[in-house]
Amino acid sequence: MVGERAVGLVRELQSAAGGRLPPFRAEELGQTLEEMRTLYERNQADVSEAKSGRTDLIFLIRFRHCCLLRNQRCIVAYLYDRLLRIRALRWEYGSILPNTIQFHMAAEEVEWFNRYKKSLATYMRSVGGEEGLDLTQDIKPPKSLYIEVRCLRDYGEFEIDDGTTVLLKKNSQHFLPRWKCEQLIRQGVLEHILS
Amino acid sequence: MFVTDCRREFYDVIVSQRVLLLVASDVDALCACKILQALFQCDHVQYTLVPVSGWQELETAFLEHKDQFKYFVFINCGANVDLLEILQPEEDTYFFVCDSHRPINVVNVYNETQVKLLVKQDDDLDVPAYDDIFRDEEDEEEDSENESDGSEPSDKRRRFEEEVIERTMRRRQRREWEARRREILFDYEQYEYHGTSSAMVMFDLAWIMSKDLNDMLWWAIVGLTDQWVQDKITHMKYVTDIGILQRHVSRHNHRNEDEENSLSIDCMRIAFEYDLRLALYQHWSLYESLCNTSYTSATLKLWSVQGQKRLQEFLADMGLPLKQVKQKFNSMDVSLKENLREMIEESANKFGMKDLRVQTFSIHFGFKNKFLASDIVYATASLMENIEKEGPETTNFIKALDSLSRGNLDKLHQGLDLAKKQLRAIQQTVASCICTNLVISQGPFLYCSLMEGTPDVKLFSKPVSLCLLSKYLLKSFVCSTKNKRCKLLPLIMAAPMDVEQGTVIMVGIPPETESSDKKNFFGRAFEKAADSTNSRTLHNHFDMSMVLFGSLCWKLRIRCSEVVSDVPDFIVLQLCQLALFEMFQYRPGLWVLCLRG
Repeated sequence: MVGERAVGLVRELQSAAGGRLPPFRAEELGQTLEEMRTLYERNQADVSEAKSGRTDLIFLIRFRHCCLLRNQRCIVAYLYDRLLRIRALRWEYGSILPNTIQFHMAAEEVEWFNRYKKSLATYMRSVGGEEGLDLTQDIKPPKSLYIEVRCLRDYGEFEIDDGTTVLLKKNSQHFLPRWKCEQLIRQGVLEHILS
Repeated sequence: MFVTDCRREFYDVIVSQRVLLLVASDVDALCACKILQALFQCDHVQYTLVPVSGWQELETAFLEHKDQFKYFVFINCGANVDLLEILQPEEDTYFFVCDSHRPINVVNVYNETQVKLLVKQDDDLDVPAYDDIFRDEEDEEEDSENESDGSEPSDKRRRFEEEVIERTMRRRQRREWEARRREILFDYEQYEYHGTSSAMVMFDLAWIMSKDLNDMLWWAIVGLTDQWVQDKITHMKYVTDIGILQRHVSRHNHRNEDEENSLSIDCMRIAFEYDLRLALYQHWSLYESLCNTSYTSATLKLWSVQGQKRLQEFLADMGLPLKQVKQKFNSMDVSLKENLREMIEESANKFGMKDLRVQTFSIHFGFKNKFLASDIVYATASLMENIEKEGPETTNFIKALDSLSRGNLDKLHQGLDLAKKQLRAIQQTVASCICTNLVISQGPFLYCSLMEGTPDVKLFSKPVSLCLLSKYLLKSFVCSTKNKRCKLLPLIMAAPMDVEQGTVIMVGIPPETESSDKKNFFGRAFEKAADSTNSRTLHNHFDMSMVLFGSLCWKLRIRCSEVVSDVPDFIVLQLCQLALFEMFQYRPGLWVLCLRG
């Protein structure tokens, strides 16, 4: 059925909820583009025939044109949504993405990500005076300097600003400066406890 | 060393440092930990909290963290052993110990630099004097001073003889001193008991710093009630401590009495109650609570048919219809609930239960949430010893710690359900033990052992549950037996801990008397028995009267100890026989037994 694969791509993205990035389906994309090319070529052939008299082909041409537009729309939505997700990853994970996620990105997406990083860094440096302002921290207004966190899995040693290390073992609780913990909370190693 | 000014010598020292908290697994420790955590959060003290359930875990945690921390706070662990010897810390490490276990090890008391004890000095401690136990080693130097100067031989011989006489005199003195030292130490360390609750000590610290809150006061109350529920302190001490806390309660909660200025119903308030001693009765039905509280069940002898009849008489005497009494307490008729406490007390007096009411506190927040201190104790204790394993043991500790915060009511309700299951299981086990005569008199003590197939036996592989079971069993046994001598005997209880490894957990509790001082000698007795039988035991718990038994020994050498009328030694002999009995049950096979007279 025409247009199946394109819709399949979109559906896959929709089912990957929560901002996850599924692997880049280069193969299906290629197949969809191939399908579009076939449709276009057939249309080309039929248009020349229709011009020379066979008006009953007009509906078929129109149908194929709609399919082409549909495929285009799906592919563009797929690519754009992936870019939006990759952009959100920068805010969540920081400038270095974990390997598993990088594995799921196409080469062009990686390049786009690097350029986005650079652009964001330039902007952050230009705001906030001499040092720049790290906008990716404190996304919600903080309530206190230190927070109580609980370790959800064994992580190992973790260094704080003044050089001291903390051993993060499962189910141990710590009272640490908030800005150091935010990264780990986002990664799911620590859990913020509200008492 | 005892800390005289808690604030200056403890809190001001650690307020600018990073601290490691090592917290034992009991409700009193949890409450003390919550109070201390609240104080630390107020002052931004960076800390790490590690739960420990035994000596091995304590040592592991210390080894893992000793490079990162210099200040360690031990809550309800560490006072009764020589910390410096076991942990071998560096010179600049400091230990602060807030523990209710007594007697405090003498090395911990007399160490001036590294070990600081957060204990009130007016607790009946009876620490032996320094000179009786420690002695500087000056004698060696005096002996080496005797150089002879090449003078006349007769002079030399005279001096030599004098020296010999002096030396023997000193040696004799030394031996006498050592014998006296051993005796003093033995007397001091013979009995195990408990002092003031750690939660109360922490609350005191908060109060001195004027940082105490109603929440912290409630945790202190729960800590004290835990000591009472587990029978760790005498009734006198409990009443005295309740008096102390009552003053704080009225200071924090006096606004409720004034009708006009009272606080909103959602604010937390604590009230003093002279309430019934029935476990969880407000969250259960009155009938279930009467059946599953040890006090009522033992006095009415509810394991027998006669007992059930007496229960019906008791309820009829109060005029409470059975249908009402078996309903959930909150759905009982309001007219019946109004004078319930006084009615029950009157009838209870007729049936021989004179202490059915006890002084305690209750907490009230929102319209639905009213809890007695003992309810919270049961709920938290059963959460901590939950056998439905969802991960490592520390998960249970964390859950129990969370349930103490008022925002986690769902965990508290889960704890209450578990507590109901636990109490029911305890009563059923007690009833079956008494009806099938599983409690045997072994001479100087009573002995009961739970077999592997007993229902709910997995619940009793945990220390606190096993202790509760033993205490209830002893109470019921004392009420059920006619033998006057048996009523005064202590009880040793054994339960399988881990079926695959073949370990058994054993606990010893002192005899049940009216005015017992709750002193437990089983710690020393178990140690001695373990030494003399060379059996593999493990004193892992912070309470010395609990021991793990590995039933994998091949040879037993029992040395007949000299006949002494001293009770503990006689018990040692019996324990050795008991050890043999246990081994045979769990690992029947060829036993080589050498008896040496």
